[in-house]
Amino acid sequence: MGRYTIRRLLQLIPVLLGTTFLINYMVWQLPGDPFAGRCGQRPCPDSYVSAMRAQFGLDQPILVQYWQFLKNMLTGNLGVDFNQVPVAAQLGDAWPITIRLALLAVAIEAVIGISAGVLSGLKRGGFIDNVVTISTLFLLSLPVFVTGFLLQWLLGVQLQVITPTVSDEATITELLVPAFVLASLNMAFTARLTRTSIVENRRSDYVRTAIAKGLTNRRVVGVHLLRNSLIPVLTFLGTEVGSLMSGAIITEGIFNIHGIGGLLYRAITGQDYTIVVPIASLLVLVYLVSNLLVDLLYGVLDPRIRYE
Amino acid sequence: MSDPSVTQDLIHGGEGPAASVVSASNKPRSLWQDTWDILKRRKIFWISLTMLVLFLLMAAFPSLFTGKNPDYATLAKSMEPPSGEAWFGYDLQGRDVFARTIYGARTSIIVGVLATLLTVVLGGIAGVLAAYYARWVDSVLSRVGEIFLGVPYVLGAIIILGTIAPAQSSPDRATIMAVVIVVLAVLGWPILMRIARSSVIQAKHQDYVQAARALGAGPFRIIFKHLLPNSLAPILVYATITIGSYIGAEATLSLLGIGLREPVISWGIAIADHTSYIRTGAHAMLFPAAFLSLCVLTFVMLGEAVRDALDPKLR
Repeated sequence: MGRYTIRRLLQLIPVLLGTTFLINYMVWQLPGDPFAGRCGQRPCPDSYVSAMRAQFGLDQPILVQYWQFLKNMLTGNLGVDFNQVPVAAQLGDAWPITIRLALLAVAIEAVIGISAGVLSGLKRGGFIDNVVTISTLFLLSLPVFVTGFLLQWLLGVQLQVITPTVSDEATITELLVPAFVLASLNMAFTARLTRTSIVENRRSDYVRTAIAKGLTNRRVVGVHLLRNSLIPVLTFLGTEVGSLMSGAIITEGIFNIHGIGGLLYRAITGQDYTIVVPIASLLVLVYLVSNLLVDLLYGVLDPRIRYE
Repeated sequence: MSDPSVTQDLIHGGEGPAASVVSASNKPRSLWQDTWDILKRRKIFWISLTMLVLFLLMAAFPSLFTGKNPDYATLAKSMEPPSGEAWFGYDLQGRDVFARTIYGARTSIIVGVLATLLTVVLGGIAGVLAAYYARWVDSVLSRVGEIFLGVPYVLGAIIILGTIAPAQSSPDRATIMAVVIVVLAVLGWPILMRIARSSVIQAKHQDYVQAARALGAGPFRIIFKHLLPNSLAPILVYATITIGSYIGAEATLSLLGIGLREPVISWGIAIADHTSYIRTGAHAMLFPAAFLSLCVLTFVMLGEAVRDALDPKLR
């Protein structure tokens, strides 16, 4: 286990270097002028452009820039944006909101997804199973923003049960509907995964043994079946935490939530790449680390899986 | 959202589809015959097929469905709600929402299909090469794939498009469509590579491949005559579902202002243009959104029906 962890950590390094390099390359090297339209209606004066290029190292070759970026990241120096506002401060304001939103979304998809999956898996072909199959099909086909606008229009504008946009405090009650929207797609996947897993395990020898021993149905399902069936589901939920963070870009845009996604989106539309690069790198890091944790968790949850 | 990285769970939810052909009768039947026999009895298959034909007709001959010009604007009618004259009402510019929704099908389907084709070509080549040559080719391609998968989908698309086609620019029709197609495929190929790779690896150790090799067939012949046809099924299923998710992804990017843009007519743009009018004129947004969702649903439903037929174990 220890050796496996170390090997996985070592494998993480080239992927992390590759992705951050890719992000740096895409942002700084692809055609497009970061200072276009930065000075109002007229083009920026040469003195400003050259001063900015020197400050952010844009006059250096890409590898030197990348090296500088790595050094800054490792020392925790996120620098300032094009308006000279520290990036770390902006990140500090936005981070807690997005974490709250993502955790809420994970909780929603776990509770609803798993219960729907278990119910439909236990009674295969039954009424609940059909309802779950059809509703997951619909959830999978609705792009997240459609679900978002639909709920905003229905609950916020027509029925007026929620405020259509979230205030600056972003309290848990306000975040409930946005989190549901963010979770909708993964909820469908969770339900389907749980169902497949339950259906498969119901035919397994250990379940037959448990029934033959005369255990109550409740114990067979609750202890024997559920525990084993939920392993792949838990890993799925873990893997998706990272992608929830980037899915938040759209959800936060719809409900006007001032989190990481909103910050990133405003930075991209405002072409402030100095914010884009560190945030995108951070999101990638969260994504990769959550994947790694999930893989390690797998071995803990399921002792049949042996590493090495 | 339409994140293709999750769709692979749909396909690989159970055992490899290609491996599970049931031999119902004694005479040998191909996988495709079997699949067809199951498919034609499934209601969901016929529903999705009908919808697919409708959407394809809409894309090919929009004038069959509406006689109006989607670009003709009467500002006086701006945001008028649905009526007998204009079934879906008028949009902000006073253009007929029904006509624009019908004409929007073409863009979405072209983008979805071409991006999927490109993904299949890129990912398929990479996957077959990785599986066939194994060793270092496999390691290199798999690592490169991991790097691309390491960037969350929406994030990657936003970064690339935000840089090469920022919201302030106004590239022409063909350019922006090509850019969106390439970006979708560039970010999506690693998943297809994994599917192609695993199914080719499965096929590689079958006796018929050994036999072909023993008879002196070269790598080209083995790949095209034996490996590809026998590992096509999961790729096909994934591709069908991917068309749907790419259509959703295109709309999402257009919504963010960095995907397609005017003068292209697309559902995503129509939704994006009217998000600020959700209180006063939701019709201009809800109808395109409904068509978009139905179109995605069509492809996902079709893909799932085919997958279930290919793999009876899942049912």
